[in-house]
Amino acid sequence: MNLKTSIIDYINDVKSGSFTVEEFTSATIQRIKDVDDDVHAYLSLNESAIDDAKIIDKKITAGEKVGACYGFPISIKDNICITGTKTTCASKILENFVAPYTATVVNKLQNEDVVITGKTNLDEFAMGLTTEFSAYGPTKNPWNLKYVPGGSSGGSAASVAANECLASLGSDTGGSVRNPASFCSLVGLKPTYGLISRYGLISYANSIEQIGPMTKTVKDCGFLLNIIAGQDNNDDTTIDNKQSDYLKNIEGGIEGKRIGIIKEMTADGLSPEVSTATKDAIQDFEKLGGICEEVSLPTIPYTVAAYYTITSTEAGSNLARYDNIRYGYDLDSEGYEYNSYISKSRTRFGPEVTRRIILGGFVPSAGHAGKYFLKALKVKSKLISEVNNAFEKFDFLISPTAPVQPFQFGEKIDDPITLMLLDYNTVTANLTGKPAISVPYRVVNGLPIGMQIMGNSLKEESLLQAAYALESKTELPEVPL
Amino acid sequence: MVDEEEIIRVAKLMKIDLEDHVEHVSRVKKMLEYFDILDQIDLSSEEITSQEKTLSELRKDEFLPNDKKLIEVLKNFREHYVRAPKMN
Amino acid sequence: MTKIGLEIHCQLTKLESKLFCSCKANYREFKPNHNICPICMGLPGSLPRLNQKAVESATSIAMALSCETPEKIAFFRKNYFYPDLPKNFQITQLNVYGDMSVGGEGHVDVEGKKIKIRRIQLEEDPGRLIYEGESERTKITLVDYNRAGTPLVEIVTDPDFENPRQVRVFLNILSDLLENLGVTEPGLEGAIRADGNVSIEGGNKVEIKNIGSFHDLEKALHFEITRQQSLSERDIEISQETRHWDDKRKITVSSRSKEEDQDYRYFLENDIPWVKIPQETRDCLKKDLPESISSKKERFVAKFNIAPQVADILASDKYYSNLFENAHSDSDAKDIANLITTDLMGFVDTKEKREESKLTSQHLSDLVAAINDKTLTRTSSKTALQEIVKSGKSVKGLLTEMDLDQVSDSSEIEGIIMQVFEEEKQAVIDAKENPETVNYLVGKVMQKTKGKADPTKTLELIKLKLN
Repeated sequence: MNLKTSIIDYINDVKSGSFTVEEFTSATIQRIKDVDDDVHAYLSLNESAIDDAKIIDKKITAGEKVGACYGFPISIKDNICITGTKTTCASKILENFVAPYTATVVNKLQNEDVVITGKTNLDEFAMGLTTEFSAYGPTKNPWNLKYVPGGSSGGSAASVAANECLASLGSDTGGSVRNPASFCSLVGLKPTYGLISRYGLISYANSIEQIGPMTKTVKDCGFLLNIIAGQDNNDDTTIDNKQSDYLKNIEGGIEGKRIGIIKEMTADGLSPEVSTATKDAIQDFEKLGGICEEVSLPTIPYTVAAYYTITSTEAGSNLARYDNIRYGYDLDSEGYEYNSYISKSRTRFGPEVTRRIILGGFVPSAGHAGKYFLKALKVKSKLISEVNNAFEKFDFLISPTAPVQPFQFGEKIDDPITLMLLDYNTVTANLTGKPAISVPYRVVNGLPIGMQIMGNSLKEESLLQAAYALESKTELPEVPL
Repeated sequence: MVDEEEIIRVAKLMKIDLEDHVEHVSRVKKMLEYFDILDQIDLSSEEITSQEKTLSELRKDEFLPNDKKLIEVLKNFREHYVRAPKMN
Repeated sequence: MTKIGLEIHCQLTKLESKLFCSCKANYREFKPNHNICPICMGLPGSLPRLNQKAVESATSIAMALSCETPEKIAFFRKNYFYPDLPKNFQITQLNVYGDMSVGGEGHVDVEGKKIKIRRIQLEEDPGRLIYEGESERTKITLVDYNRAGTPLVEIVTDPDFENPRQVRVFLNILSDLLENLGVTEPGLEGAIRADGNVSIEGGNKVEIKNIGSFHDLEKALHFEITRQQSLSERDIEISQETRHWDDKRKITVSSRSKEEDQDYRYFLENDIPWVKIPQETRDCLKKDLPESISSKKERFVAKFNIAPQVADILASDKYYSNLFENAHSDSDAKDIANLITTDLMGFVDTKEKREESKLTSQHLSDLVAAINDKTLTRTSSKTALQEIVKSGKSVKGLLTEMDLDQVSDSSEIEGIIMQVFEEEKQAVIDAKENPETVNYLVGKVMQKTKGKADPTKTLELIKLKLN
C-alpha cells in the first residue's frame, strides 16, 4: 500500500476500487506502529479508527452518499477538542482533561466522513517553535530524527511527513503551522483571521491565532479548506467567505501577478542555504510570469517584540482558567488553602509556559502597560497599515518561511532571544490577520526549506494559485524514514 | 532595567510558584529587555482598531437547555457541586 | 458634607438566555450546576456569543436614565482569580479607547436633587459560593455556576447623594424604572444589588461591598457615616479603602489589603467584535421606552391641572399612577389624584398591604362620583376606602351597608341640629357671641351623623338657627 499518496489521489483510488478505506486505514495504523516510537508525532490514537473506516466502506458498497473525504486519515493537533478524547495541549495540567464537546472544524470533517488517526504532539499550549516544550517528550523530524520538526505543530507536521496520515490540522499563532511545514517539507497554511472557526481550539492568543491545514500538496490544502472554512455561529470572530471554492481555479497560474520580496525578511539572518533557495525561488516566480520587486516594510524589526508582548498578555489571561478546580489532573483540594492549591496546581505548567505567563502578567500591568502592551498594540496597527499599503501595489508578498533549516535538539532552546527570532518571518501574517502559506521548496543536506507566500485578506483562492504554481517548479526527494 | 523583585511579585499575582525555579526570573528579564526595542519606533499616530459587527448580527436571545449533564464529566463533589479549596 | 455614591448591579432576569451563551438567564429554578454549558463554564476552547437582546436592554436602561449612548460598544477582560469565576477573568466594559460602554453621562432626579449617572456597563455575573460547615476546620467551599454568565447591567453614580434617605428614594425610583422597562424583576432575590461609597467633609472615599439588600445598604451607610464622623472628631484620618458589610455584627469591616494589590490587566476581549449600534436602532429603542417619571409628571400637571406635589407622588410610584390612569376620566382626574394622595396612601404604603389590597380603579372612580353627587362626604369616603381595601366590596353596596350615605336632607339635618343645640347649650351661647366658634357645633353634628351630614348644608342651617 502506497502511503505516500495525496488526499486527492487517495480519494480517486478508493472511488475506483483500488483499495478499501479499511485497507488504507489499517496500513496507516501499521505505519504508526512501525515508526511512531521513533518519531513520537502522536500523543494519543483513535482506537476506533478501523471501525470508522469499516462504516465508510459499507456506505460505499451500499451506494449511499459518502462524505467528500472518503475516509482519508487525518491527525489533529492535541489543542483541538474532540468529544470523549483526552485533549492535553501537551501539558501535565490537562493530563486528565477529556473534552465534552467537538471543535467545529472536526465536526465538519467528520460530517464528510474523514477518519481521525489520533491527536498529535505540540509545544505545550502551542507556545514554542520546536516541539521541545511538550511535557510528553519532543517529536522528531522524520527527515532526520536528530533534528527538530519545528513547532508548535511539530507532531502534526511529523505525522504527515512520516506518512502516518495524509494530512493534519494544526494551529498557527506566530508561525506554528508554517514553520513546522517548512521544517518537514509540507504545505502549511495560516488562513485569514476569521476564515476558520476557532470553536474548540484551546486558546493561546485568541486575537491572532487560526487553525491551519498541513498537507503534502497544495491541492490537498485547497481540498481541506473547502471543508473547514466559513462562518460559524459558534465563533463570533468568523467571517463569511461567500462559499468560496478554493480548488476550482487553483491551476490559474501567476502570469502578470506582482510579487513583493519583503526586504526585511530576506536580508541578514538567513542561513546561506536558505538565502540561495530564496534567490532561486524568486527566479522561479519570474519564470512563472510573476513580476518580482523588493518591498520594504520598516515595522518588521519590531514585530517579534510586539508579537511576544501581545501573545504573552493573552496567554496569561487565557491560561488563568487552569486552576485545577473544575478539570485538569488529579489533586484533592482537601487540606489546601485556595491560593496555595492553585499555585501548586500551576507548577504543572512547563518552563516555557510558566515564563510566558509571568511575562503576560508583567507587560499589561498597570505600571508597565504603557511601555510594553499598549506600544505593542500600536505596532500592530502600524504594521497593518504598512502591509495594506503594500497590497495596493502587490498581489503577493514573499520570503523564506524560516531563516534557517531545521537544527538539532537542544541547539536553540537556551537562548530565548534566538528562539524568538525564528518567528521573524512568520509573525507578520498573524499580527495583520493576512493569509500566508509555506510551500516546500527544497531539501539541502537532507533538511527541508520552505518558501512563504502572503496574500491579502480573504484572498486564499489566488494565494493557492501562487502556491500551486511554485510547487509545480519543485522536485523534492522522498522522506528517508 | 527591569526589577527582578517586580518579576517575582508579578509571578505571585499570576499564581505562579517560583520557589524551585528562580532561573525563570532571569530569562523573563532577558525577554523584557529585548522588548525595549519597542521604544525606538514612532507610534504617535497609531489607533487601536478591531473587528466589528452590527447589533443585528448577534446571537438571538433564546434559552436552549443542555441535555448533557455537563457537571457529571467535570470534577464534582456530591454530584452537583464543584468544590473549591478553603477560602480565607 | 457627606457624599455617597452607588454601584448598582441589575440582573436582566427577563431575558431568556445568559449574556454569552444560551443557558437560562434566570437561574433560580435549577439544581446546582444544572444550568451550565461549555461556554459559561469557560471550558478550554469555548468562545463567548454576545446576546443581542442584552445589548438592547442595557441600551434602553441607559436611555431611560438620560445617558449618552455610543455608536460602538466593546468588551474588556478584568483578570483576577476567584473560584466563582470560571475563566478567572470577567468579561465587562471599560471606557479606555473612548466611550465604549453602553451608556454614560446620565442623571436621575431625586426629590429635586440631580443624581449624575457616571456610566452604565454590561457584564457577566460570576457563580455563587456556598460555605458549609461550622468550624474553621470542617468548613468547605462549594461553587454553583448556574449564575455564572447571567447578564448584569452595572449602574455607577457620582457621589451625589447627601444622605441615606436620598439613596433609599433613588433605589425605589430605580427599581420601578427598571421593572417598568421590563428588563428585570426587582422582587427576585439578588436581582438588584447595590454597593456604595462614602466620604465626609471632603475626606477619603471608602467603598462598601458585600451588601445583601437595599435595607442593609441603608444600615451600612448609616454605620459608615457614623464611623467616619467619630474618627474625624478624634482627628484620625479616614483611610481610603474597601470595607465589607458584616451582616451578623451589623458593622463595616476593613477588607484585606489584597484588594489594593489587585492588578486587573484590563485589555480588549478579542473574542467579541466591537458592536455597532446604528442610529436607527437607537432611535427605535428610544421611541419604545415607556414614559419616564418626569414626563409623566409633566403630563399630569399640564393635562389635568394637578398640583405638582400631587403629580410627583403619582408619577414616581407605578402603583399609584396605574390606579390613577385607569380610574380617571377627563373631568374627575384632579379628584381621583387627590383621593389617592391624601386618603388612600396610608392604607397601601407597603408592598404587603398592596398585595393584599382588594381596591380597584373602579372603586376610586365610583367613590369620586359619590362624593361629587353628594351621596358621600369626604370624611366618610376615608372610612369607605379602608373597608374597600380590606374587602373589595363595591361602593354602592358599602353606601347602604355601612350607612355611609351623605345626609343632605335639610329636615333630617335640622333634626340633628336641634338635638345638638339641646345638648350643647353653652356652645350655642358662645357661637352667638363669637361666630368663629360655630365649627364646634358643626363638628358635633358630624359626630352624631357619623360624618355623613353634608358639612356645607349643616353650617348653613346652624348659622340660620343661631340668628
